[in-house]
Amino acid sequence: MVGSFGSLNTALTALRYQQSALDVANNNIANSTTTGYARRTIVGASQSTSQVAMWSRYTGYGDGVAVSDVRRMVDPLLDARMRREHASLASLQTQATVLARVESGIGEPGENGVAAALDTFTQSWQDLATNPGGDAARYQVLGAASSLAQALKAQVGNISGEEADQRLRLVSVVDQVNSAAKDLAALNHTILTGSQNGTDVAVLEDQRDQLALQLADLTGAVTSVRADGQYDVSVGGVSLVSGRQAGSLAIASGVNPDGSADGAAITFAVTDPGGTTTAVSGLSGSVGGINQLLSTTLPNYRAGLDAVATSLADAINTQHALGFDQAGTAGGAFFTYDPTNPAASLAVAITDPSLVAAASIGGSATLDGGNADVLSDATAAATEAYQRLVNGFGTHVAATNRQLANQEALTGSLDTAWESQAGVNLDEETVNMLTAQRAYEAAARLMTTLDEVLDTLINRTGVVGR
Amino acid sequence: MSVGRITQRMLNTSGLASVQTGLTRLGKVQEQLTTGRILNRPSDNPADTTAAMRIRTGLADQGQYARNAADGVGWMTQIDSTLDSVTTALSRARELAAQAISGALGQASLDALAQEVDGLRANTVTLANATYLDRPVFGGVTAGAAAYDDTGAYVGTPGQVTRRIADGVNLRVDVDGRTVFGDGTGSAFDELDALSTALRAGDTAGVQTAAAALKTRVDTVISARTAAGVTYARLQKAEVAAGDAELSLTTTLSSLENTDLAKATMDLQLQEVAYQASLAATARVMQPSLIDFLR
Repeated sequence: MVGSFGSLNTALTALRYQQSALDVANNNIANSTTTGYARRTIVGASQSTSQVAMWSRYTGYGDGVAVSDVRRMVDPLLDARMRREHASLASLQTQATVLARVESGIGEPGENGVAAALDTFTQSWQDLATNPGGDAARYQVLGAASSLAQALKAQVGNISGEEADQRLRLVSVVDQVNSAAKDLAALNHTILTGSQNGTDVAVLEDQRDQLALQLADLTGAVTSVRADGQYDVSVGGVSLVSGRQAGSLAIASGVNPDGSADGAAITFAVTDPGGTTTAVSGLSGSVGGINQLLSTTLPNYRAGLDAVATSLADAINTQHALGFDQAGTAGGAFFTYDPTNPAASLAVAITDPSLVAAASIGGSATLDGGNADVLSDATAAATEAYQRLVNGFGTHVAATNRQLANQEALTGSLDTAWESQAGVNLDEETVNMLTAQRAYEAAARLMTTLDEVLDTLINRTGVVGR
Repeated sequence: MSVGRITQRMLNTSGLASVQTGLTRLGKVQEQLTTGRILNRPSDNPADTTAAMRIRTGLADQGQYARNAADGVGWMTQIDSTLDSVTTALSRARELAAQAISGALGQASLDALAQEVDGLRANTVTLANATYLDRPVFGGVTAGAAAYDDTGAYVGTPGQVTRRIADGVNLRVDVDGRTVFGDGTGSAFDELDALSTALRAGDTAGVQTAAAALKTRVDTVISARTAAGVTYARLQKAEVAAGDAELSLTTTLSSLENTDLAKATMDLQLQEVAYQASLAATARVMQPSLIDFLR
């Protein structure tokens, strides 16, 4: 048996529900461009008092509608995949940006690079062989040698500057990781308590997903979801966030807190929420990218430059010592360098042009240019080593750029998939809005109808003969 | 796109992405056109970069070889003309000897001949000290200004003056004075001295001996000149070859490094069309929504 006022109540639930539906559509439209906002859909449930009192029977046809859930349209699996690919993307982007800068500093192929300086140096020996008596040719050799040393030094300077920048960046990125981990742990707790007492925590969940994505971007952190909905985050296999507690990531060695190098290899350690510190490796994301640059790419290029410098200086010095200077005395060292840092410290040892050992005949002053001619060959090994170095570096940069393009495409398609799942479609919301509006109008009309029915019953029945 | 549900933001971001891609490509073509180079950094094409660097080294080498050969040609020209004058001088001495040997001359005439021979000797010493760019061409690697002193003694420093005219090819561009003129006793100057002395003494036999020696000397000079001529020809060929190599290397370098203008312009046109299309498409897609069609 349906109570007269019960029907009014059913209409009221409808009004309330449609009001909520309008609110949800409203919020979706308002946040249609908010980063990280996952659209909500309202889930209604029809109400009925199916559990009736003992010895009685339910005779109604339903008691209206209620909001059973406002769902965030996200897919945890897709989120996890997105975090993984974003981590790789961040690593590649970090590397590609730095490599592009370093590469533009190389200046090859061109007229102003180390290769051109090597060529000029070679030619200056030939010119000296042609004209061993002239001071001009001797000065030219010294000038070409010091500009070659300068060109090598400039490249090493570029590399060192880039390394210093990246070390500073690494320190700041690690700080970001730790503050994001703390925020995420705090959100874990708020969301857990909020959802337990029935508050809407969707906004907080949006924020938490953003933080998890940020952590993945920065370190390649892996996030797993607990049964109670809390996020656990691990970096390099070691727990960084567990429930409401956050540990910390630290640079264990290689970089001092002020961003200077401490000479050791770069290593990382994670202190888990329990306080145990474990060394981690194989990080991805920005930290991984910077680590790759600082530990492998940039040192390798610098080592290549060092090899070019030593090979050049040693070959020239050996041959120079076999020759004789303008006075007929045996030649001394032509280049000097510090073996711990050859390319940056390469310098011309001779300042007096008459000491350049152009002659292969000693004992007295001659105008022989035999040794200068042989010396022009002594640069060949360094030239080849440098060409190999530039080729290797160029190949590495090209490969990184290709990987980056692929990763961008992959991440782009995942982002599209996420947007397809969680993005706000204005047309859809307009339709939802219209539907809710019409349903609201219908429920209001129903209320009017019931009111009239009751009016008939109360005011117009039983008035016969009055 | 196999995704079922499309949102406005997807259209916007993919529209923006395609506009960005279009702009990036346009930027690339623009860089190629404005710099005139397709190799702007090693990663543009690592293999071509190495090739370009090698070719640049090769170009510098060839330029150097051409300069070296030109310098060598200068040496050989000087040597050739000097040896020509030496031949003339020695032949004149032989003629004078022949006049003396014919026997019709009195001592006064012989003295006059002897005087001319003395003049020829002095001339030959000067010729033997001929220089190219202040270096005596018959003096080896001497740092001094002369190959022979006035007595006809060799004062040069033995050694070869060589010029590198191709990869690993060093050509000798001087002539050792001792192989042409000899040194001290038995030298050309000694022979001229002997002729002069014999003429003054009226010693016909001595004149004959001296004349015979001079004949051999002229042959020596001529054969030295022939050898110099061969070197001269090689140097000239090398100069031309280096010039040719320079040209062909420049062409190759240009094909590696420089933009094919026609192709790049076509590319620019294509990329421009693609860019405009993506702009237009994005603009069209962003505008409408269901709201436009509802009251």
